[in-house]
Amino acid sequence: MLALTRKIGERIVIDNQIVVTVVEIRGESVRLGIEAPNEIKIYRGELYDAIVNENREAVASNPAKDLNVLKTIPKKKKE
Amino acid sequence: MLIQSARLGEMEVSDEAVVQFPNGLPGFREMRSFAFIPFGPDSPFSYLQSTADADLMFIVLETFAVFPDYTFEVDDAVAAELGFSLDNAPQTFSIVTIPDQLDQMTANLVAPLLVNWRDRLAVQYVLEQTKYSVKQRIFPNGLPKEPTDETGKGR
Repeated sequence: MLALTRKIGERIVIDNQIVVTVVEIRGESVRLGIEAPNEIKIYRGELYDAIVNENREAVASNPAKDLNVLKTIPKKKKE
Repeated sequence: MLIQSARLGEMEVSDEAVVQFPNGLPGFREMRSFAFIPFGPDSPFSYLQSTADADLMFIVLETFAVFPDYTFEVDDAVAAELGFSLDNAPQTFSIVTIPDQLDQMTANLVAPLLVNWRDRLAVQYVLEQTKYSVKQRIFPNGLPKEPTDETGKGR
C-alpha cells in the first residue's frame, strides 16, 4: 500500500482520471473531494463491506436446504 | 445454453434468462454472467445461477412482490450505463439470505439487483442513503401456511 501525506487543498491524481482532494480536516475526520468518471463506482468502505459480507453469506446459506415452500409463496398487492 | 449448477444439476436455460453484470457483484467481481431460474410460475423467488461457476448461486426475490412500497432512486449515470429509462424500467430483485430457520430469511434491500431485460444487463445497485436494511425479514409473521391456490382458502 502507498501512503502519502497531504495538506488541506492538496490533491492525489490516480490513473490520469481520478482526483482526490483533501477538503477539510476537523478533529479525527477528513473530508475528501473525489472527481472520477461516471463508470468508477465510489462507496464508503463500511457500506461496501456490508454488501460484500451479505452477498457471501447469501451464497453460503443456500446449499442443501429444502426450499420447496418458496414455490408457492403468494405475491402481495400494493395497498 | 447448457449450464451446470451444484444445486440443480446440469440444465438447459433459455438465452433470454441469462443476464450480464458488467461490473460483477460486490464480493464476486469477476462473475459477470448469471441465469434467472424461477422457483415456479407463481413464485416471486428465483435462483440466480452463475453460468461459469456451478457452486455460485444466489436466491433472489422479486422485491415488489413482497415489499410493494419499496422505493429508491437510481443515479442518472447508472441508468444511462445500464440502459434504464421510462420506456425500459428495470425489474427489481433482492438477494435473499436463508438461515437455518427458513422463516427467518431476509432480503438485502440496501443493494437491489436491477435488470434490463431488453438488453439483458444488470447491476447490483448500492443505495447510499437509505432507511432499509441488508437483512430485512421477508416473513415477519412466519412462513405462509398454505399454498396460494384456491384450496388454500380457509375463511
